[in-house]
Amino acid sequence: MAFRPPVLIAALAWLALLAPSAAPGADAPELLLATTTSVRDSGLLDAILPPFTAKTGIRVKVIAVGSGAALEMARKGDADLVIAHAAESEAKLVSEGALVDRRPFAENYFLIAGPADDPAHVKGAASAAQAIQRIAAAKAPFATRGDESGTHQRERKLFEGAGLPPDPIWPGVLRTGSGMGQTLQVAGEKRAYVLTDEATFRAFRERTGLVAFSGPDPALRNVYSVLLVPPSRFGTGRIHAAEARSLAAYLVEPATLERIARFGAADGAPPLFRPLP
Amino acid sequence: MTSDASVFAIALRTLAVSGAALATALALGLPAALWLARRRFRGRKILVSCVNAGMGLPPVVVGLVVALTLWRSGPLGFLGLMYTKTAMGIAQVLIALPLVVGISLAALMALGDEWHVQVRALGVRGWRATWLLLRETRAGLLAAVIAGLGGILSEVGAVMMVGGNLEGETRVLTTGILMYTQMGRFSEALALSAVLLGLTLVLAGALTALQQAERA
Repeated sequence: MAFRPPVLIAALAWLALLAPSAAPGADAPELLLATTTSVRDSGLLDAILPPFTAKTGIRVKVIAVGSGAALEMARKGDADLVIAHAAESEAKLVSEGALVDRRPFAENYFLIAGPADDPAHVKGAASAAQAIQRIAAAKAPFATRGDESGTHQRERKLFEGAGLPPDPIWPGVLRTGSGMGQTLQVAGEKRAYVLTDEATFRAFRERTGLVAFSGPDPALRNVYSVLLVPPSRFGTGRIHAAEARSLAAYLVEPATLERIARFGAADGAPPLFRPLP
Repeated sequence: MTSDASVFAIALRTLAVSGAALATALALGLPAALWLARRRFRGRKILVSCVNAGMGLPPVVVGLVVALTLWRSGPLGFLGLMYTKTAMGIAQVLIALPLVVGISLAALMALGDEWHVQVRALGVRGWRATWLLLRETRAGLLAAVIAGLGGILSEVGAVMMVGGNLEGETRVLTTGILMYTQMGRFSEALALSAVLLGLTLVLAGALTALQQAERA
């Protein structure tokens, strides 16, 4: 007698858990979207996905991780499509045939930010490369994600472009191994310079007191693309190919691009993303 | 975005997932503890050591192993369980089970052999003897329940990995707090934290009251 009640409660509780997830999941088509964090954390996906679901009835499950992890999920077929901002990794996966139909749909600029008193005199640098050189020459505190995210990959490229080793190693370098928000917090507390995407930077600007120093340098151009997983690489039924195709097409529709163009514009601030036709 | 209604839904979902996981861990763990407490066999000490080590099992490792198993590319990927409440429940059972077994076992073992001799002398056998044993060790068993619940209610790494923090589906209090913190939306993170703390206090309080109640 003693064990029956917990067994019964457990069984009922699991039924309750399974029922609501199984009921709509059985028929309603759904889609697993692996994405870089900035488009989720900025609120962009919340602004553009609900109309898609309303129109098509397709539920989109969003898994927000770094670009590196998101692309890896897609490569293994653990997601149906992916949004990333790591052009080189994307190109490599497309050339290997692991991903297809890369479509850039939005862009903005990475920012080089740092403490307001600007000890390395980054303000007024002629280019992103020069800004990086000044930070390195001053051996100023510098916070790096160090997590193979799209931002981290760009950072390595910037260091190489400035004629420096891609992985900075002077004593002031802080490798956070964390997401952008966490890394900005570290940079704020430690008064460090940091490479950041604009959306996350804006969300944390007040709290960190960091100031953006860079302008729209082509080396800082940040392009977000959507890529599809070719279903033929996996067993039938594993990849929701038709739904994924329909979401990718939706992302580059004029109405969606219009939404992207308006997103984030408030209180005199410019929009966070520029749509790419 | 975070209306009162959605906070309520997140809290309810947290309770549902952790409640189901705890009930499962108890249903599996209590019989296991009873068995381990009374039986003597070769390898028992090793098994008990494993249980005790399991009490310190890092939830994030549990999350990784469950994720690798349930991902579409994993051995059980065909079940389609990744990023569901069921996946979160599975991870939480694995986290809570060693806590429930280990602490229950300690409570059951604390009762000396004389007690069992007396019960047998009184002619009590089988289920009734087990029932008496559970009542006798109630304080320790409830400590196991409290530890198991605390372990999974406060856990974030594993449920984030296997649940995916999907809005309206697998977002629970801890993953919501982490997400809002990463987004820099600290007031929402604090609101969810207050709800989580409140829930923990109420549940721990209720279980403590049950534990400390006069034995009837």
